[in-house]
Amino acid sequence: MKKTGVFVCHCGKNISSTVNIDQVVEEIGKNPNVTVCRDYKYMCSEPGQNLITETIKENKLERVVVACCTPSLHEETFRKAAESTGMNRYFLEIANIREQCSWVHSDMNKATPKAISLINSVVGKINLNNSLEPIKVPVTQKALVIGGGIAGIQAALDIANSGYKVTLVEKNPSIGGHMAQLSETFPTLDCSQCILTPKMVEAGKHENIELLTYSEVEDVSGNIGNFKVKIRRKAAYVDHDKCTGCGDCTEKCPTKVLSEFDEGLGKRKAIYSPFPQAVPNKPVIDKDNCLYFRFNGKCGICQKTCLLEAIDFTQQDRFIEDEFGAIILATGYDTYPKEKFREYGADKYLDVITGLQFERMVSASGPTEGEILRPSDQKIPKRVAFISCVGSRDPEHHMPYCSKICCMYNAKHAHLYKHQVPDGEAIVFTIDVRTAGKGYEEFFTRIKDHDNVLYVRGKPARVIKKGDKLVVWSYNTLTGRQLKLEVDMVVLATAIVPTAEAVVLSNKLRIQTDENGFFSEIHPKLRPVESMVPGFLLAGCCHSPKDIPDTVAQASAAASKALQMFSQPELSLDPQIAFVDPDVCSGCKLCVPVCPYEARIFNEKKRIVEVKEALCVGCGSCITACPSGATQQKNLQDLQMATMMEALLGS
Amino acid sequence: MKKIEEINDEIREVLLEEGAEGIYKCYQCGKCTSICPWYQVDLYDFPVYRFSLETAMGMVASSEDKNELAQEIDKIYRCVGCEACVDQCPHGIDTPKILRAAKRLLVDFGSYPETLKSTVQKIKNVGNPFGEPIENRADWAKESGVPQFQEEMDYLFFPCCLPAYDPRNQKVARATAGILQQAEISFGILGTKEHCCGEVVRRIGAEQVFTQVCKANIKEFTTSGVTKVLVSSPHCFTTFKNEYPEFGADFETLHITQFLSKLIDEGAIKPAKEFNKKVVYHDPCTLGRKNGIYEEPRNILKSIPGLELLEVEDFNRNLSVCCGAGSGGLWMEWDKDERIVNVRLKQLIDTGADIIAVACPYCLQMFEETLKSMNSEIQVMDVTEILYEAL
Ligand SMILES: Cc1cc2nc3c(=O)[nH]c(=O)nc-3n(C[C@H](O)[C@H](O)[C@H](O)COP(=O)(O)OP(=O)(O)OC[C@H]3O[C@@H](n4cnc5c(N)ncnc54)[C@H](O)[C@@H]3O)c2cc1C
Ligand code: SF4
Ligand code: SF4
Ligand code: SF4
Ligand code: SF4
Repeated sequence: MKKTGVFVCHCGKNISSTVNIDQVVEEIGKNPNVTVCRDYKYMCSEPGQNLITETIKENKLERVVVACCTPSLHEETFRKAAESTGMNRYFLEIANIREQCSWVHSDMNKATPKAISLINSVVGKINLNNSLEPIKVPVTQKALVIGGGIAGIQAALDIANSGYKVTLVEKNPSIGGHMAQLSETFPTLDCSQCILTPKMVEAGKHENIELLTYSEVEDVSGNIGNFKVKIRRKAAYVDHDKCTGCGDCTEKCPTKVLSEFDEGLGKRKAIYSPFPQAVPNKPVIDKDNCLYFRFNGKCGICQKTCLLEAIDFTQQDRFIEDEFGAIILATGYDTYPKEKFREYGADKYLDVITGLQFERMVSASGPTEGEILRPSDQKIPKRVAFISCVGSRDPEHHMPYCSKICCMYNAKHAHLYKHQVPDGEAIVFTIDVRTAGKGYEEFFTRIKDHDNVLYVRGKPARVIKKGDKLVVWSYNTLTGRQLKLEVDMVVLATAIVPTAEAVVLSNKLRIQTDENGFFSEIHPKLRPVESMVPGFLLAGCCHSPKDIPDTVAQASAAASKALQMFSQPELSLDPQIAFVDPDVCSGCKLCVPVCPYEARIFNEKKRIVEVKEALCVGCGSCITACPSGATQQKNLQDLQMATMMEALLGS
Repeated sequence: MKKIEEINDEIREVLLEEGAEGIYKCYQCGKCTSICPWYQVDLYDFPVYRFSLETAMGMVASSEDKNELAQEIDKIYRCVGCEACVDQCPHGIDTPKILRAAKRLLVDFGSYPETLKSTVQKIKNVGNPFGEPIENRADWAKESGVPQFQEEMDYLFFPCCLPAYDPRNQKVARATAGILQQAEISFGILGTKEHCCGEVVRRIGAEQVFTQVCKANIKEFTTSGVTKVLVSSPHCFTTFKNEYPEFGADFETLHITQFLSKLIDEGAIKPAKEFNKKVVYHDPCTLGRKNGIYEEPRNILKSIPGLELLEVEDFNRNLSVCCGAGSGGLWMEWDKDERIVNVRLKQLIDTGADIIAVACPYCLQMFEETLKSMNSEIQVMDVTEILYEAL
């Protein structure tokens, strides 16, 4: 028997209010395997950790069990403490008596015995632990950033400027994301293009950044520190090495389709670059709409126009493979489809538009060259209603969460409108106005006051067409009267939602998402930029709805996490993974296809299966598949599990 | 009104017990208020959004002043249970159900509208809201030779009290029976052995009477060996399908439009005669919003040659507007300028249709009655009546 010490934490009152600590200490003390049992109010504090290290030294302990919160929170803290005494870090384990006991129970008489058996189960198991050493892997000092919005651009620049290589993959023909579509940005009202374009250009020219636009990630294998990635470069049908971006082809192309960049308010050609400041500013051919592809070689005007012979209808998608140490996800957001709001006539009335469409309308580079004109008849709207929370905060039909930015952009839009149409009226319908952010409440108040913007507290139920007006039906919940308001245009603040591609990507990369489809972080407070899968970092709106300041902050944080990895020559991986007993393995290979991480290979010479240690994450799939018991998890072997079960269920 | 509000936790507790749910979720956005059909009645203000909060504060029917209390009661019984608010509420809050809790309380104290009292009483005594003798319940079927239900028959046809007694609605019952006979469906009626389904008494708040008629029907259906029921009324439909099972019912219920739409799809009935009219379909709240049956009645109408099907722009399917007859509204005597039915009729007439097609006896009755005093050529017909003519 190994000399084992048990340390019971009160966690303030988190544990001690439902688990009787004195009784636990007394009972655990009776376990013949336990040399010493101590308790403390906050074991994770410095005096708490000192208590552990001092006791280890005093009693020459060989094993330590800390009964406290989940291992994902403090296992590392305590293992470091144990290591400082010279103990192997894997001789310390956690018995989780908070999440698995005190937090889920209310009856002390039942919670206390449960805590005791949880601790005893770990005491029994840890006796059989072997000393392990972390697996060291070299780190590929190169980052992949997926998504070229402001989040991806910022993260790529931060890493590149620190001297490391970055590949930035963007699915569209240009980087910039949604920020490129915005007019002016709250709360300072600086022009979005003016602050974004320099960063786009810098990213496009940076010697450490490889920019792959019109590209998508096909497949990722490998593990933190060493990912192998396959990237599809979609055929642009334009040889970008020859093309100088003169735009002659675009001018001559006869095919016009609705522009995605202008949110359907304007048109683009079949051969196009999405906007004048695009990076790279070289066109691509939209195959679905191009006459050449649709009608078997008819047209080809662009090819005839291009003197540099850059148009190449025979181009095919190409694939690139590369290796990366860290991957930053920055795939951003979509806005919720407005067609879903039949009650607002958004499926049929041209003058019911979205906030993003309004942004295009007021942008100098937009389809109306910055003039606010309503889509149906190009007249200046004299009264505009802005409706908040369209699809947000509606758990019954749409999204349960607050999209966080729309209250602010509603205020911005009301201001931009009043600025252009001083004799017009802006009415904002809200449930409540959320302006948490530096300078935000001040911005909101200033706009209401300076621009005489009317705020009505009430969520409209209908928008009905009446002649060439739209009537907004609402109830002013503060004055207690009906408000049926005739307006010329309605702007819907549609919810910020995860992109459809993010769902595909999350399946491909095995990245967890939350119940709404946003990528999940590993800890909502303490590790907000790391995904649940080691080596994947999160930045921007793919994680949750955010404004630009928060997006940029998170992007820089993700970059610094990547840099932290690159600053070490080797990464330490958890050695508590699968191993194969070569004497028992029959070479049946059943476990090989079962492993989701491709960590198992069949050794043809030895005729047994082996584990690629850098790839195995210890998920345990192979262990259940192995019929002969040859595969086991280190420090969680069959005998150890049986010991634990015995302690938990009684022998 | 008292200037200072208080929290009356006694009333609140009772209302919670009586089924007021979800009240704390309400964020007072008011969407319910502007979707409620009363919003379109210019002379009556009905701030639906306050009911959740007032219930949470125990401020419902709590006034000590007689006149104020009378106003509160009037307000509570204005809700016609159309569930437009439930459909649109971001939190799915069931305001009519919250109000039903208050109604139950009022029924217990006998403080509810006199006309509704008499309706409840009649249903309790003779099983129909008109006070007609129970022996006459099958009179509508006398000439058409509809048989009494036998255990070996496939379907029970349950026509609802209106088609059973009201002369205008009886035509619907006969048309329906006629179609079923032509399609050679094996069906019968229970006639004098059936009672009102009880939907309206439950919506009025008379839970005890509801339990009584519900149990009586279940017993009768069970002893007669009924396994499948065809109903004309969406109100019977929703009650049988969604509410009777709480009391041990175990039979399948189909609304007649579901059944007939399927027969048409299968080719079992073929509308052959031209019906050269413009027809606008009115979605009954309880069939559409409550039970999601929007397409079947339209399918039937679309299958009829010559028929031009119109829609009420902006107010169809889940955005349809109530006829005002639900939850006892049929029996309420609101001022002429304070009626939901006038609003809905105007919308229907404005489509330029010759005929309003309905799939609910309440809507039929409500529209027919109101049209008598309106200057309009438009006619009201049940979907089954139109189909019968086209066969
Ligand atoms: C109407 C409106 C007004 C706004 N106004 C303001 C404002 O005034 N101030 C402010 O601070 N914020 C504002 N915002 C918020 C702002 O748009 C966001 O904070 C910001 O754009 C988030 O950047 P992002 O990079 O995370 O996402 P995005 O801008 O969405 O960028 C994501 C990028 O990733 C790419 N991508 C997606 N999937 C893939 C894939 N699978 N592979 C490769 N690439 C992919 C996309 O094409 C896109 O380029 C506004 C938002 C809206 C809707
Ligand atoms: S082939 Fe014709 S339609 Fe296609 S991109 Fe070139 S010019 Fe446009
Ligand atoms: S930010 Fe404002 S408008 Fe947007 S969802 Fe939140 S509360 Fe609604
Ligand atoms: S719609 Fe729902 S949340 Fe809004 S006020 Fe009405 S009941 Fe409350
Ligand atoms: S159920 Fe209908 S009548 Fe009653 S409050 Fe809701 S919308 Fe109004």
